[in-house]
Amino acid sequence: MLINEADRQKLTELFSKELNTPVRVLVFTVDVNDVSNGNSDCMYCKETVQLATEVGELSDKITVEVYDLYKDRDTAEEYGISRAPAIAIVGARDYGIRFYGIPAGYEFTAFVSALINVSKGVSGLSLNNIKRLGRIDKPVHIQVFVTPTCPYCAPAVQLAHKIALASDFIRADMVEAQEFPELATHYGVYGVPRTVINEDYHIEGAVPEDTFVLHVLAAAGKITKEQAALAGLV
Amino acid sequence: MELNLSLGTAAPAEVYDTIIIGGGPAGLSAALYTARASRKTLVIDMHPGAGALGMTERIDNYPGVPEPISGRELLDRFREQALKFGAEIVQSQVVTTDLRSDPKQVITADNVFQGRTVIIASGAMGRTPSIAGEAALIGRGVSYCATCDAPFFRGKDVAVVGHSEMMADELPTIANFAAKVYLIPHGKLSPESKEIVTQHPQVVYLEGARVVKILGDDFVTGVEVKLANETAVYPVSGVFMYLTGNRPVLDYLDGSVQTTEKGCIAVNMQDGATQIPGVFAAGDVTCTPVRQVVVAAAQGTLAALAADRYLRKTGRSGSTSPESVDSASGL
Ligand SMILES: Cc1cc2nc3c(=O)[nH]c(=O)nc-3n(C[C@H](O)[C@H](O)[C@H](O)COP(=O)(O)OP(=O)(O)OC[C@H]3O[C@@H](n4cnc5c(N)ncnc54)[C@H](O)[C@@H]3O)c2cc1C
Repeated sequence: MLINEADRQKLTELFSKELNTPVRVLVFTVDVNDVSNGNSDCMYCKETVQLATEVGELSDKITVEVYDLYKDRDTAEEYGISRAPAIAIVGARDYGIRFYGIPAGYEFTAFVSALINVSKGVSGLSLNNIKRLGRIDKPVHIQVFVTPTCPYCAPAVQLAHKIALASDFIRADMVEAQEFPELATHYGVYGVPRTVINEDYHIEGAVPEDTFVLHVLAAAGKITKEQAALAGLV
Repeated sequence: MELNLSLGTAAPAEVYDTIIIGGGPAGLSAALYTARASRKTLVIDMHPGAGALGMTERIDNYPGVPEPISGRELLDRFREQALKFGAEIVQSQVVTTDLRSDPKQVITADNVFQGRTVIIASGAMGRTPSIAGEAALIGRGVSYCATCDAPFFRGKDVAVVGHSEMMADELPTIANFAAKVYLIPHGKLSPESKEIVTQHPQVVYLEGARVVKILGDDFVTGVEVKLANETAVYPVSGVFMYLTGNRPVLDYLDGSVQTTEKGCIAVNMQDGATQIPGVFAAGDVTCTPVRQVVVAAAQGTLAALAADRYLRKTGRSGSTSPESVDSASGL
């Protein structure tokens, strides 16, 4: 068992109180023994499947579906997944909430919160920020790089996921840096949390909700450089 | 495999009457008074050795304690007294807060604590990046969190700057990943910290050294270090900073509490009230004109009395026998 008995009880209670509509947890994995797929070094695929399965056992509102990244290519493509392990959390619709790498350590908090928020279908952001995000009219991709031992990272991931929930144009990924070193190197990640928005916009460290939302607007070109400077973003 | 699953903010803990952020003389004096009045009291303290009192080698002027005493020993006495009256103390860093919600939320890495009142007492040992190159290279090799970032420096050489107890606590984590660790103390290591250093052969202790510049354009490439009258460059990929300063520690408040021009929490000096109802502040975080242990303790007491009055006025208490602080203190 990855989840101990005390936490299982807490989670069962929490889910029975907080989950509204059914949630699907789609886990994408690879068969590490199948050398033909070239991805036989998936560090935590097995544990990610097990963790998701154990969480799924704690509420009948949660359904866990396990897919092979290569054998179930159509489903992986449908959800825009190209790496494993990956988890998509889908509710009444797909809000674009993803976890790349195992949501362990502090990230387990972000995983549980995502289940609850997706089930409720509400972001929990302030009205003002929901209004601001309403101005986004083109796709925005947020990637929050984390390590499971980073206490400041889970709040950043939770915020990014809430922002994805609040806008049809925004998707947000947690990326566990050690499991995807090529992505970490590509985006120059040497400290976490580091948030990358649309490839070349970065946020260093954890920031409050208002600041995060303004960064998203700035990355999407919805506020001017002057406005960004006034808000202390640059 | 140990996953260390944290339920953290997903599962809030029970509601306290008073949550105190910071376990220095201000926070612990406040805790003593609220706990003694049967208010359910929680102190969240990052590290007893991270505050001004915990770091002070010797105190000669705390009234009622005529013999010279180390800051840590005096702090331990404050803790013992607060615990004796029923306060709970957890060691954790507050990372964010929501002080407008009801109840108020105080969020640490592992938990979300809820309180009807909050007393801010996190002291004034904060600093802004001041070493040449430091600010520009944050997240590009400059780090303030070993547990977060040490894995990025596996097999690489790094520098660790500072001599605090927190540094000594986190040094093993860094040494676990890095090939070579240059320890640049900016001051004197305690015997306990020296002991930790000797346990890690990959740590090179540069006694008496200071960093004058962090080098690198896009990423850290080295540190320029002054030792005696000589300057030397050590090539490193990462720099872990453990220096302290004298600025109020407020980062976890995300600007929600009003501050003065000097960046201190703006309070009514009579009772420590901030502009948010039910939120009080005490000690060095308020930039009192005199930074002394006895003043911090007195301010903590005033804030506790005010928190108790607030709880009585709003008729909100989680306690079973709400004896008032005023009566408990004999006022
Ligand atoms: C070198 C030095 C020598 C001194 N000598 C004397 C002296 O001889 N006599 C005297 O009376 N005064 C002396 N002082 C001043 C005195 O130490 C301070 O005024 C007093 O300690 C302030 O108390 P405080 O509770 O406000 O803050 P602190 O003592 O600084 O305590 C703050 C606490 O908050 C915690 N904290 C900070 N951030 C967080 C967070 N995010 N989450 C949780 N906890 C957090 C810290 O770990 C710390 O335990 C000295 C100060 C210094 C720096």
